[in-house]
Amino acid sequence: MSIDWVTVAAQIGNFLILVWLLKRFLYRPILDGIDAREAEITARMGEAQRIGDAAEAEKAAFAKRLAVLESERSDVLDTGRAEAQDLREKMIRETRAQLAAEREVFARDRKAQAERYATALEKSGAEALLALTRRALMELADETFEERLVIHAGRQIDASRQELLEAASVAKEIVVTTRDSLSDALRSTLTDQIAERLPGVALRFASDPAQSPGLVLRIGGVRVGWTVDTYVEELAAMVEDQITEKSHKKAVNDVR
Amino acid sequence: MDLTPDSIIVFTVGGVRVNATIVYTWLVMAVLTGGAWLMTRNLRPDVPPNRWRTLLEVIVQAIEGQIAEIAEGPARHVLYFSGTLFLFILTSNVLSVVPGFRAPTGSLSTTAGLALAVLVAVPIFGIGSRGLTGYLRTYVQPSWIMLPFNIIGEISRGLSLAIRLYGNIMSGAVIAAILLGVAPLFFPVLMSMLSLLTGVIQAYIFAVLATVYIASATADPTRTATKGEKSS
Repeated sequence: MSIDWVTVAAQIGNFLILVWLLKRFLYRPILDGIDAREAEITARMGEAQRIGDAAEAEKAAFAKRLAVLESERSDVLDTGRAEAQDLREKMIRETRAQLAAEREVFARDRKAQAERYATALEKSGAEALLALTRRALMELADETFEERLVIHAGRQIDASRQELLEAASVAKEIVVTTRDSLSDALRSTLTDQIAERLPGVALRFASDPAQSPGLVLRIGGVRVGWTVDTYVEELAAMVEDQITEKSHKKAVNDVR
Repeated sequence: MDLTPDSIIVFTVGGVRVNATIVYTWLVMAVLTGGAWLMTRNLRPDVPPNRWRTLLEVIVQAIEGQIAEIAEGPARHVLYFSGTLFLFILTSNVLSVVPGFRAPTGSLSTTAGLALAVLVAVPIFGIGSRGLTGYLRTYVQPSWIMLPFNIIGEISRGLSLAIRLYGNIMSGAVIAAILLGVAPLFFPVLMSMLSLLTGVIQAYIFAVLATVYIASATADPTRTATKGEKSS
């Protein structure tokens, strides 16, 4: 067991050279690679952290924006509901007004139609009454309607004589109006009756096709008439009274 | 039988006799350097690590981790020194199972050279870390009386490093050679395996002791005191 100092020196030198060689070809490349990878990982972690922070910020901003949109949506919905409600009420009002107007028009039309119908009915009733009266007078009394009318006029003048006299003092003329012209005999008869009851008053005969069959006597503002319409109106009033009475009785029975 | 490869002269250059120890050392150096170059020649940060690079990274990081456990502070320079010691001794001892190969660590000249290298490296690292005055002050700690003992301790631990490694490796090789003569098959194989294990352990012990010496020379005394107070 001996030490060769030359070999010792050589081995020290070899070792130092080996240290340099391994540092050059082993440690440096490996450690540099590890350092580079660690740096890359650190950079990636930093980038990931940065992206994560940005994502968090974006998330928070999105949540804030979503909350605002939610609030705006609620407001818009409320406004829309209110507008829809207003529109609905407006349309209901307009429809009701339109309906009321149509009802009014319909009622007016119905009333006019009823009036026309009543007029037509009265007219036809009057014609029928006149025809029946003529026939009855002719068959039972051998008289015409106009002869009976003139006789009846004389009695009626007696009933309203005072009023007619007062009117005659102002007007000085009596106008007798019939639908058809009276015959000369009837005119003469009537002239005699009036002259007897209302002396000094001029008499004038006139005819009006639109007038109801009968006789109308006018002195100034006083009008005295005996037309079929008068009777028809009385007949209608009687019929209406009968209908009203029957309806009343029916309603009372229904209630009971 | 030659106990040491120093006595085997391989060739002479200009009157200088190059023995087997040096030649085998060069062989180990070539293996280490060539292997490292082959594995790291295509090493680029943008290329994913292959299995060889991963193996080297595992080895280097394991050595660095061991050093970091022993020494405090930056350990790159210690890694270059102690890591090379470990890899050189380990490779030399492992290659000793190759027939015809004589481990350079079986030469007392080699182990003495490595121990001298450690003896020189310790004050260099110590001065580099503490400064010349700070390092020299460690020899008179805790008092001037300890100066000769510290110097003797410094030399003796170098000697023990050299003798321990030499004795283990040389004895393993000698025992294997003797057993080869007595029982040619079974026992030499067993002893070779044992010497392989011993060689790995000795490489670890040599490198760890060298690191401990360097660490003790570079340790910050204030931090050491603080750690001692905390542990107590």
